[in-house]
This record gives sequence, structure tokens and C-alpha cells, in this order.
Amino acid sequence: MEQPRRITDSFPRRRRRGPGRPPGRLKDKKDKDKVQVKVKVKVQDCPHAPSQSPPDPALLEMLRRFDLSWEYGPCTGITRLQRWERAQELGLSPPGPIRDALLEHRDNPDVTYRWVWDGMGW
Amino acid sequence: MFSEQAAPTAQGLLAPPSAEPPTFPRVPVSGYSDCSQHFQLGERSFSRQYAHIYAVRLAGMRPGLEQRARSRWGNDIALRKLSELQAGEKCCVVGTLFKAMQLQPSILQEISEEHNLVPQPPLPKYIQPSDELILEDELQRIKLEGAIDVQRLVTGTILAVYGSEQDDGRFLVEDHCFADLPPPLPWNGPSSDRFVLLASGLGLGSVSGEALLSTQLLVDVVTGQLGAEGEQSCAAHITRVILAGNLLSQNTQSRDTINKAKYLTKKTQAASVEAVKMLDEILLQLCSSVPVDVMPGEFDPTNYTLPQQPLHRCMLPLASAYATLRLVTNPYQANLDGVRFLGTSGQNISDIFKYSSMDDYLEILEWTLLAGHISPTAPDTLGCYPFYKSDPFILTECPHVYFCGNAPHFQSKLFQGKEGQRVLLVTVPDFSATQTACLVNLRDLTCQPITFSGFGADSED
Repeated sequence: MEQPRRITDSFPRRRRRGPGRPPGRLKDKKDKDKVQVKVKVKVQDCPHAPSQSPPDPALLEMLRRFDLSWEYGPCTGITRLQRWERAQELGLSPPGPIRDALLEHRDNPDVTYRWVWDGMGW
Repeated sequence: MFSEQAAPTAQGLLAPPSAEPPTFPRVPVSGYSDCSQHFQLGERSFSRQYAHIYAVRLAGMRPGLEQRARSRWGNDIALRKLSELQAGEKCCVVGTLFKAMQLQPSILQEISEEHNLVPQPPLPKYIQPSDELILEDELQRIKLEGAIDVQRLVTGTILAVYGSEQDDGRFLVEDHCFADLPPPLPWNGPSSDRFVLLASGLGLGSVSGEALLSTQLLVDVVTGQLGAEGEQSCAAHITRVILAGNLLSQNTQSRDTINKAKYLTKKTQAASVEAVKMLDEILLQLCSSVPVDVMPGEFDPTNYTLPQQPLHRCMLPLASAYATLRLVTNPYQANLDGVRFLGTSGQNISDIFKYSSMDDYLEILEWTLLAGHISPTAPDTLGCYPFYKSDPFILTECPHVYFCGNAPHFQSKLFQGKEGQRVLLVTVPDFSATQTACLVNLRDLTCQPITFSGFGADSED
């Protein structure tokens, strides 16, 4: 099933983060006329762009599947790396390539934090 | 024990003092190590849900429970997840218990405007005959019925049930088992008599000052300023004092300053300030003579959720000058002279008391040991920090002394486990109500109460 086309594919919505704020989810600002727009919130957490190439969609898909697999416990509120390490300590043997991917793209919050659906979710 | 040693030796108080007053050096601290690092929280983040702690609790206790189930019901029993159940098949399921209670205080019911209900007053027990038990694993839940005592169990316990699923979707339980005691620790206890004094609920800052005399007598006994030479030589065998919570009384928690107008409360000070000053002076007397471990309790100025963090040393300026004062966390675990102590200030036990039919604090203490978890009701009805990595309340090593503070009476029992574990269970009574503290002998794991009382105005003698 192809991904639904969104307005933000052509005009990405960029959220500016205040200086010194810890990384995490930003509260969604509701539109003035209370229309909920389906946006994928892109978060910029520092002025300089990440030096690596952006992760490919296949990697993000693999990470999303890691988030939604129930064997490793709940995925909300913790980073993917924390969840991977917790699964490792409990002996649930999470797949190794996920950890490599997470460490490789450490600066990219799309990769390290949980996949956010509709800009909400914790 | 303590008093038997004191009585025959040396001279009593009715003889003139000896020419050379003898000195009794206190037994030196030979082995102490603090094992409560996993109860200490560094940076606290409350932006997580509590699903993590339940998931980690189940995942952490599941292997042990599966092993217990196999040893109890046979090696070839079927261990199934709830999603794999088939009707009529006898199998064993491991999961978390949830008790649906009608009377359980619910914040949603309180703030619901449609019902216009007055919030329910706090009851001593919230159990009802119509309560139901539901077993939950990672994905599903199922109602339990059968050979399982609904009134006795509480939410959050991890257990293994053996039975079969009925046609109406409920699980008929034939037998169930808990995680049972963890493997025993090797015994390196001392060979001579050494005592640890356990006291809790000093209740300073209360309106009535009756307990102050008893508190001062306690301090005088421990520091060796009370009694004749016999008692003093015995007091020298006390190696440590553990104060298990509720050092301040509940009266210091009054929230009048919030409800009254500002002009009435401008010059008033919180009642806990004066109480903490009194605590500092008492601790100063104790610390100059014996190592003291101070655990916070329900009414003490520290955080509310378990595990409670140590009191801050800036509140006790006089006493914290001594290295013998140790401010420790609420579930507290330490090795004293080779004997492993584990204990809480009683919030876990009193919370289970409210939601279970068990009435005896010692019975509840023993039950938590058998269930393998210090406080299963956290975070459901008892405030708890949202852990995500591991549940620190799971019992992984069997302590030698397991105590809880602020119990209504003193009780103690030496519990023998199947694998050779010996655990001394002690319920430390509330000192402000009972004026009783406990002396634990580390050599043979026996416990003795010691009561201080003065003659009151209404006393008969």
C-alpha cells in the first residue's frame, strides 16, 4: 500500500527548537481554526545540519517495525536505543543491526526517538 | 538475651559506684556495605508511562516462575501465553494479576461531573466480595475463577496459574504458585552477640509530647547513659541503629497554610521545621556514639513516590557533621557484619493491608517474601517512580533480616525456606504509639522488643 501523499511532502513543516532545551517531543500547536492537519513534525535540534546522509526509508521502516513489535515491551517515552538495551538485558535477543543503525545515526532524532504518529504520541 | 546478660553481671544501682568507673568500648563496626544503589535515583524523569515497569516486572520474573511451575506441576506441563490458549486444555500461564475492585479510589470517578458524587472517604480496607481477579500477560487478559483466593491477592503480583480455559472465556484455576523465595545468601554472621536496634515512627513534632520521654530513654540506653554497669556493657554490644521511617509525626503534614488566607499565615512556620530541629538534636546524641541509618517514611520531608530518596543533610546540620550518620533510601538494603538486611518504612505493607483480606502485618510481610516482590501494589495504588529498565523491587537475593516499619505491634518470626534460607521477619512497631523498639541479635537471628515508658498521670502503680 503506497504512502498517502501529504502536503508536507512538498512543503515540510519545520519546528524551531529553543536553545538549551533537551531533545524530546515538542507539543503540537493547534491551528487557529482547530483543524488538525496530518503533519509529520520534523524536529531541528541544533542549527548545524547533521553531517551524515539522511537515513533511507527502508531503515526507518525497520526501526518502526522494531517499535511496534510487542516482544520487547512498550516503546513509548524512551529512546529506541534504551529500549534495545533493555531488551538485551532481559535476554529477549533484539536484532543486532538495529543497534548498529541507531548508533550510526545518533544525531538524527527521527532515528533515535520513537516514531511519532500524527505528531502526537508519547 | 539482652536483659538476661545485664542482670547477673556487675553491681546494681543500689550499690555505691566503683572507685574506677569502667569503660565499655562499643563493638567495632567490622563489615558494613550499602547495597541500595538501585533504589537511588539520579536524574528523575516523570514523562514515562507506568507500562514499562509492569512489562519489566513480568519479563524479569517470568523465567523464575516458569521454573517453579515446572518443578511443581511436572516438567512436561504446557506453558502457554494467553493468546495461545485452547479451550479445555490444561496448561500453565504466567502473568500479572489485576484485581478489579469496586471500592478502589479512582481519580476519574472523583472528578467526573456527571455523577456529582462526593469523593469517597478513606476506608481502612477497600475489599468487597464482588472483587474479581484478572490475569494479564503481554498482550491479553483473562478473568480467573476457581481455586484462587480473590480477597487475599493484590494487583501487581506476578504468579503462575495452572488450569484450563472454560467455554465462557474465563480461566478455571486448579492451582497457582508464586515466585517463592530467592536463592539464599551465604551466612557470614558474627560469632559473638551483636545487636542492631530497629526503631520506627519516632513521630517528632506531634501535638502531645508524651513520646519524647521514651525517645530520650531510648537514646540514653543506646549511648550507655542508663542503667548500671550491666546494662551499659550490654548497650556496648549494639553496633547500629536503624530508624525506619516516620521520624516526623503526621501532624507536621497539616496543609492549613494553603487553605487559610495569607495574612493569617504570614508569620507561621511549617510544623516540620521545628520537628526536624528536634530530630537533629536527637540524632546528634545518637551519632556521637553509634552508627545510625536514617530511612525516610511517609511523613518525612522527602519525595512521596517509592523509592524514597534519603533526607538531605542540610536539614540535619548538627548531626551530619558525624560520619556515623547515614541517610539512606526507603527500601533499604545493606550488609551489616555479614548479615543482609532489607526493609522498608511500611508503606508497602500498609498498602497491601488496605487492598487485601490479610490483617496481620507479619503475614503480609511473609507473603511479599513468598511473592518475590517488595511492593506489588506499586504503582497501582502506591506511588512509584516510573522505572523502565528494571524493577528494583523484585527480590533477587534472599535477605537474612526482612523488616517493615510503622506496624501496629511488634511481631517477629524466623522463616525457613525450602532451599535452606533463614529469614528473620520483623514488624517494627510505631514508637510514638507503642514506645517499643526491636533489638536484633545478629549471631543467631533472634529478635527482642524493648519498651520504654514513663509513669503517666493516669497510671495505676
